[in-house]
Amino acid sequence: MDRVAIEELVYQSCLLLDDKDFKGYLDLCAPEFRYTITAHSPEIRKDMIWLDHDRNGMQTLFTQLPRHNSDHSPLTRHATVYKVQCDEAQQQANVVSALQVFKTNLDGGATELFAVGRYLDTFKLNGGKPLLAKRVVKLDTRMFGFGYHIPF
Amino acid sequence: MTKNANQWQQLPKFPTSHFVDSRIYTDEQIFHEEREKIFNKCWIIACHESEIPNAYDYRTFRHPGGTNLIVVRGEDMKVRSFYNICPHRGNTLLYDPVGNAKRITCIFHAWSFDTKGNCVDITREKEGFQNRFCKADAGLREVRTEIGFGGFVWVNTDDNACTLKEYIGSALDMLVPCMEEELEVFHYHKAIVNTNYKLWHDTNSEFYHDYMHYFNRVTGMLQPGYFDRKYVGYPNGHASVGSMTIKYDAYEGSKERGVGWPNLSPGGWILIDIFPGMTYNLRTSVLRMDTSIPLGPDKLIIEFRGLGLKRDTPQERMQRIFDHNTIWGPFGRNLHEDLLGVHGQGRAMNRLSDQTWVIHGREENMTIHDEGGMRHFYAEWSRRMGRKAYDPYGEKLISAAA
Repeated sequence: MDRVAIEELVYQSCLLLDDKDFKGYLDLCAPEFRYTITAHSPEIRKDMIWLDHDRNGMQTLFTQLPRHNSDHSPLTRHATVYKVQCDEAQQQANVVSALQVFKTNLDGGATELFAVGRYLDTFKLNGGKPLLAKRVVKLDTRMFGFGYHIPF
Repeated sequence: MTKNANQWQQLPKFPTSHFVDSRIYTDEQIFHEEREKIFNKCWIIACHESEIPNAYDYRTFRHPGGTNLIVVRGEDMKVRSFYNICPHRGNTLLYDPVGNAKRITCIFHAWSFDTKGNCVDITREKEGFQNRFCKADAGLREVRTEIGFGGFVWVNTDDNACTLKEYIGSALDMLVPCMEEELEVFHYHKAIVNTNYKLWHDTNSEFYHDYMHYFNRVTGMLQPGYFDRKYVGYPNGHASVGSMTIKYDAYEGSKERGVGWPNLSPGGWILIDIFPGMTYNLRTSVLRMDTSIPLGPDKLIIEFRGLGLKRDTPQERMQRIFDHNTIWGPFGRNLHEDLLGVHGQGRAMNRLSDQTWVIHGREENMTIHDEGGMRHFYAEWSRRMGRKAYDPYGEKLISAAA
């Protein structure tokens, strides 16, 4: 297993989403890719799913968003890979990364911490060319002001 | 044609019921009066009964009137509410949003209370208070509490208020058959927005802003029946909007909602606004509940809940969650747009701004783009506040329709 290649793929996914290069982002993903955002609400004592799409669903989401009114402040995703567990038999790796998301206001350029959480990723090792097969964004932050459309 | 400073200040050429003075969204004194005359007088939703299912379960609530509350289910399964204030030294009794506590014990000096609000222990009571003060003198302040209209827990800090049933009247009649089964909250999040609570309620009280929502334009506005939906106003400032059939598959990536709702027609959508800041929004497969907690004239917490049926199968629940998230989740298409809208209003109508009037002047026989829902709200607001929304300081000398 090439840990460096996996780490670089995590970081690449952040850079591509930061740049709103959605095609480039989906090119990192396996055909069976599934993307989910989750959070736990202590208020209702429940785990919640806030977004859940397969690869086609993500493609549609990215296609539709320009038709909507959105905050255009750019996001900066910062990931740190903490743990890489490889399953050679399954030819996959499970990766845990810390995630911080910063938002920079268009007017004036002030930056604020927007969200913290974790990426829980599954990569298909794919003979040395890993692909992202599953990403769960497990958020600690649950308040986003007036919100945002593009996922983390 | 643009306006000069004088023209900008001119009264709108509408009846006085059809516009408001924008200072009602920014004035600190008016906000304090709203707390006293509106939020501390009206029935307010604190939580849903499914959030406190077991004996001794509690939920804390930041009441928009200003006093924090505890909502707790007693051993007798009755839900009661109390000020979240220790009567000794005024400390917060319960800090966490939820928990389970047979005894509510203040961390400060360990005074303890049962779930009926009785003080059951004062540490070193006799040594300190002798016979001058005892547990019987130290009960919690109880707040009127009723469960109803979909299993929501309603509170009213006014001991002399009418009953919840009287307060709601017939406003929720359209939804009552849809809420006969037990409901359950599956989604909760909050947003803090720099805007006035009335502006959020306005957004929930008019559909003209569907122009802001691509999703609503293609699934609703372009479909038959959209312009037939009607607003109905009810006593106490509540208002409803009738149903239509939403064509969900007109939005790419969306499809006809396969999971429906008891006693709601397929694709149906009913929205009912409850004065002063709560909205029932039943959209085919999901009930959304918005509750407003103003923190100031220009700062607002909105609580968002998504509800399904308690009897849902896992598959049905997952579908409701998916439907909810597509437009209403924190990353949903419509919610961000709505919040962006009221954020923009808050920014434009800040207290230093020269904004003067907000117009509610559309008349379309009370159909979907009529602004009668907002006019109905401000008539009630004016009645309760003893101020005219179009002339809150009595300075405009308006004697009749401008």
